[in-house]
Amino acid sequence: MRSFSVFFIGAWVGLMGAASAQEPASAPEFSTGRMEAAAPPPGMRGKPINLPDISVIGVLAGHLSDEESDRTKERFEFEEVETAFQGFLYPEMRADVFLALHKHGSEYEAEICEAKATFLHLAEGLSASVGKLHVDFGKLNKAHTHHRPMIDQPQAITNFLGHHGLVGQGGVASYLLPLPFYVQADAAFWRVPGEAEEDEYSLDDETFTGKLKTSFAPGSKSEFELGGSFASGYGAHNEFERDRAKVYGADLTFKAWPSSYERWTFQNEYFRLVRKGVAGRLYRDGLYSFLNYRVNKYWDVGGRFDYAEGAFPEQSIERSYSAMGGYHFTETTRAMVQYKHRRVDGISINEGWLQLAFGIGPHSHELE
Amino acid sequence: MNSNKRLLFRLILAALLIPSAAWSKLRVVTTTTDLKWLTEQVGGERVAVESLSSGDQDLHFVEPRPSMALKLKQADVIIKIGLDQDMWADSLIAAARNAKIVYGATGYVDTSVGIERLQIPTSKVDAAMGDIHVFGNPHYWLDPANSAVISKNILDGLTRNSPKDAEVFAENQKRFLAALDAKLKEWDKKAAPLKGLKLVTYHNSWVYFAKRFNMELFGNIEPKPGLPPSPAHLGRLISAMKEGEARVIMAESFYPLKGPKMVAEKTGAKLIVVASSVGGLPEVKTYFDVFEQVLSRLLEGREP
Repeated sequence: MRSFSVFFIGAWVGLMGAASAQEPASAPEFSTGRMEAAAPPPGMRGKPINLPDISVIGVLAGHLSDEESDRTKERFEFEEVETAFQGFLYPEMRADVFLALHKHGSEYEAEICEAKATFLHLAEGLSASVGKLHVDFGKLNKAHTHHRPMIDQPQAITNFLGHHGLVGQGGVASYLLPLPFYVQADAAFWRVPGEAEEDEYSLDDETFTGKLKTSFAPGSKSEFELGGSFASGYGAHNEFERDRAKVYGADLTFKAWPSSYERWTFQNEYFRLVRKGVAGRLYRDGLYSFLNYRVNKYWDVGGRFDYAEGAFPEQSIERSYSAMGGYHFTETTRAMVQYKHRRVDGISINEGWLQLAFGIGPHSHELE
Repeated sequence: MNSNKRLLFRLILAALLIPSAAWSKLRVVTTTTDLKWLTEQVGGERVAVESLSSGDQDLHFVEPRPSMALKLKQADVIIKIGLDQDMWADSLIAAARNAKIVYGATGYVDTSVGIERLQIPTSKVDAAMGDIHVFGNPHYWLDPANSAVISKNILDGLTRNSPKDAEVFAENQKRFLAALDAKLKEWDKKAAPLKGLKLVTYHNSWVYFAKRFNMELFGNIEPKPGLPPSPAHLGRLISAMKEGEARVIMAESFYPLKGPKMVAEKTGAKLIVVASSVGGLPEVKTYFDVFEQVLSRLLEGREP
């Protein structure tokens, strides 16, 4: 473990060295000219060979842990490679396909991470997406891992929605209400491939979800976002335990921009799982509270508190404290480190991560 | 009717009329404060304009927010800089679900159309070169003469969306062009002593400005567009500035000044901090003020 820790530190120092050593590369050649028409937005750039936007995201990560049974510790390897194909199918219809190779145990598995067709304007304020999607539940579930401001996933999401979060095949309709302030309502139906391994829990099969989110800007440099989410389906173990499950979520985020680059983010999510099985009702709660400060254009630091109860009848409680920092080379390339102290049913565990996530090509996600 | 009832009746009437007056105007959202000011010159009383960014923000780094999507949902027209300078607006346009302002719709205005673009890459472009814009350098509004083309694009956009006001818009734009013409002559005279000035800028954002006023862009504090200044790069820049006798460093108000200050101290150059957009500094209230203050500060900066 000591040698791996040294490697960890060395890798971080190396990454930061690469960030500061900018020797001149070949300079681009330039010309001048006039635009005949507006520059097309991302996804409409196939001309003249009609290709979609193609990008690759790679996530390289290392993990340290003093938990003996942790099978993922003392590795530094590719965790995920995601390829995206994004483009318009029709004037107000676009497709976004994200194919990924994920590390599961010791094997890489190929999967469709997301593949969706989006109808941007079905009626005034109304849009819809169909396909396989990360469900817009709370604040973090929808975001791909490389797009989150932390390396690991808050435990409450893992315990109630699964290791990969809530991902389903189905459709969602989103309506931006005709009000003088921002309110968006989502209603969706999914078929969720549940995570039915012994130590995992998630929703499974037919699942309905809904979300209501709003936003207020108290000043020109700050914003409050509030949301309420709901999911109703079966538990992944329903074949054995025949349980119906509901997950309720509430989120509150405050962001403030004191200067052009500085940003404070205070993001909080609360979850409640209700399982109804033959043995009666079971209630479980979980939350996280995340504070992040973007120091300048390149650096950000943050901390997170997690509280999560297990989804199973045996009562299990986890509290954890995380500290993290990141260096952003570009919009899609970053290096992050994270330390986490967990206390699970009275047992303390220390963990650390080092992650390099990089992007090549035009890669975009919708407003999150 | 007693006086209290009359007052109440008037208040209700006013409450009903005020919003209808506001809604009768063409609702325009611009991505920058410069475009807001220029749109107000062309649109006059017939438009209500809001900007998504403020003048003290780095336009490469504006973060889309739900409240911005709401503004776009209510808009009749979106006016953009284009050339990928305000790409962050694209996700907002999608989130707003407003068919009037999507790419190609009558309410979508890109003011870069018809601009003589500089620094269009002709070779392969990748991230090793920094943040290179594939359609060319997007800071074209910093040549004040380009505002003639920008205002024409705005005029066409407003006219498309409110044909009944076409004459008013055309008259306003004509008035703006006359004012611009006078200002260009004034600035040409003012900038005459700056001809050939070797200018070091923080970011590669002043190429249109330098071309317009015959200055030489000597170097940038950033080693490549968008990358933080490294000690090695600043060391090379200091040596080159001493050798090439470059004595003025110019940085926009939102950039960190640690690097430029260090270079100024080591070379004896003067560091001037300027606004590159309306609102970038408190005294810069109009698009014309942008050039007034930049030229004034450059003139002060070149004095020994």
